[in-house]
Amino acid sequence: MSRGPAIQAEGLGKRYVIPSGGGRHDSFRSALTTGVNSLFKRRTANSGKTDFWALRDTSFEIAHGENVGVIGLNGAGKSTLLKILSRITEPTTGRAVIDGRIGALLEVGTGFHIELTGRENIFLYGSILGMKREEVTRKFDAIVDFAGIPQHLDTPVKRYSSGMYVRLAFAVAAHLEPEILFLDEVLAVGDLGFQRKCIEFAKNLQKRDATILFVSHNMFSIKTMCDRVIYMRKGQIHYDGPVDAGIEIYEQDCRLGALTRPGDAKPADWPLFITGCDVFDDDGETKTIFDVGETMHIRLAYEVRKAVAHPNFMVSIVRSDSVTVCTYSTETDGVDLGTIPEDGVLQLDLPPLRLVAEMYAIKITVREKGFGPILCEQIGTTFHVRDALLDINFGVFHEPGEWRVGGTVSSARRLPGAAAKAATLTSTGT
Amino acid sequence: MPNYDRGIVLEMETSLNSPSGIGIESTRSVIIIRPRQGLFDLDLMAVWRYRELLYFLVWRDLKVRYAQAALGAAWAVVQPIFAVLIFTVVFGMFARVPSEGYPYAVFAFAGVLPWTYFAEAARRGALGLVGDANLVRKIYFPRLIVPLANVLAPLVDFAVAFVVFLGVMLWYGIAPTWKLLMVLPLLGVTLSLSLAISLWMAPINVRFRDITHTIPFLLQIWMYGSPIVYPLSMVPEQWRTLYSLNPMVGVIEGFRWSLLGKGSLDLFSLGVSVVIIAVALVAGLIFFRDSERTFADII
Repeated sequence: MSRGPAIQAEGLGKRYVIPSGGGRHDSFRSALTTGVNSLFKRRTANSGKTDFWALRDTSFEIAHGENVGVIGLNGAGKSTLLKILSRITEPTTGRAVIDGRIGALLEVGTGFHIELTGRENIFLYGSILGMKREEVTRKFDAIVDFAGIPQHLDTPVKRYSSGMYVRLAFAVAAHLEPEILFLDEVLAVGDLGFQRKCIEFAKNLQKRDATILFVSHNMFSIKTMCDRVIYMRKGQIHYDGPVDAGIEIYEQDCRLGALTRPGDAKPADWPLFITGCDVFDDDGETKTIFDVGETMHIRLAYEVRKAVAHPNFMVSIVRSDSVTVCTYSTETDGVDLGTIPEDGVLQLDLPPLRLVAEMYAIKITVREKGFGPILCEQIGTTFHVRDALLDINFGVFHEPGEWRVGGTVSSARRLPGAAAKAATLTSTGT
Repeated sequence: MPNYDRGIVLEMETSLNSPSGIGIESTRSVIIIRPRQGLFDLDLMAVWRYRELLYFLVWRDLKVRYAQAALGAAWAVVQPIFAVLIFTVVFGMFARVPSEGYPYAVFAFAGVLPWTYFAEAARRGALGLVGDANLVRKIYFPRLIVPLANVLAPLVDFAVAFVVFLGVMLWYGIAPTWKLLMVLPLLGVTLSLSLAISLWMAPINVRFRDITHTIPFLLQIWMYGSPIVYPLSMVPEQWRTLYSLNPMVGVIEGFRWSLLGKGSLDLFSLGVSVVIIAVALVAGLIFFRDSERTFADII
């Protein structure tokens, strides 16, 4: 193919002007008073306004048929980039040339009207996504089939469950056949089954040589879908290249700023902080990818601001879709740490991993004696579990079972490495 | 699938001579994204390419409005009929406002008919963009589509009310004349005015929601500043020219002439209306397109 690149961006930048003094001018009055004031006051350069570059000097080229993941922390400019490329907002600087029919899915179901029926919404949403009426008519049966809700087709969408709503919306979106697709991570908010459909949709497009630009926080999806990754940091491209190396740099960066605090906790009040969270295997080697059946060890380092009596350390493993799959607790394991007066280290030795292949995060919560008030709550490292067969289609975790065929025990597949080891948990405090 | 290849050609904004490499790629589209240059980059072709979306937005408006109402499209006439009734009682019977020799009800209805359409279209056009904030934030399409759809949808109400008006006219024994055909161009002028107002007000409303509260009350003042409940002849002669600067004056007088068929068309005030509307519309287009770039960021 002697075509140019599918997407060519040169020096793209987006500046937002934030009026200082709290918020934007929402009412005439404030705008008028500021306007009148500025008539009488000498204008100082850029007075009262702060510039914020959400995206700066971003250049890249994406060839036809390439699948590129865009990663980065919140506010790194990923969504701004996608919004510019899908022409929702205009860049402040630079230019981009896009060669091919664009499909942009920044959110599923935007434009659905709850008063309209499923059938009517299929047409409305189709046209919003840029399909012709004739095209929607042609694909109508396939869309209904995909959504799997034929009996509710003439019910107003407001009576749908949220699951049905998303399924219908996605069914329409999945029949969009763009040459260039922009996918935002908001697509990944659904349940795992839904995410799976998203990935299948993207894979189908890949087969047809579509170009995909995919924003996600889920390294697992990025690894499955993309052959190149762009890592954005502070509005600029920090890395652009092969996926594994990119994710490594990203995860390295995440670890530097690791142990983030969820929610609106006020860390200053905490008597205790987790200052380190290391994940390593039996050989003491720190790593982030484990095979099913491998043994994982988690070492927590903590800092004590105020002596705490009988704290309960809890380590939760949270799957990428925010499901807490299990929680280990010194309380339930009958370990009493006594009063911890100063900084120390605590190690948790997990039984062989039975979790299926996915991405997980480690959440650390420290509570007062028993399951009392929270003293400290932080998110530590993330890790991946890898297996050729055992993925979420097998459930949350996998255990070998014993089968009796005609009275004789005959074992089926065994967890690799699991047989030898007894599943015990030990906790040691220092 | 050659069919499908033309499917979303409406996605393209700027077509260039792209390398015509392979045979099947006959309808290649290349889009260039850059900061807009100049105020006059109106790109009205994009609106044409998105005409199906325009159709569906109008269709959605109508469906949503009438699907859930027990009286359905009857609501389109309830409002103007009640207005006419109230005006007939208050201004026709109590205040004895002259009505150019017609029964007051018919006289008022001939003014209420275009006014109701205008007010509804302008109101919806000014407020509609904010109502579709979600679309603006997450989907690309020429933003002009939204105010366009907003001023087109009430045409259906107008059509229903128009039929009722004809009934009332015949009831009073007034026969329509050939001038009735002039309703169409006059309606076009009215639509243009409501679109012009929408193009000015919608972007301001994106930034300042005050418009949401201002529009209904501005429209009410405007109504009494237009010859709806009283004839143009009641306006003192020396104020007449100034009064005609209100573009709705020419429009409503035009409608009365066309609907009731008597007298001659006041070409001066209609001409003034058309000129004012044309200027406001073109300037509105430029203003709207210029504001459009920040819609997604601030809406």
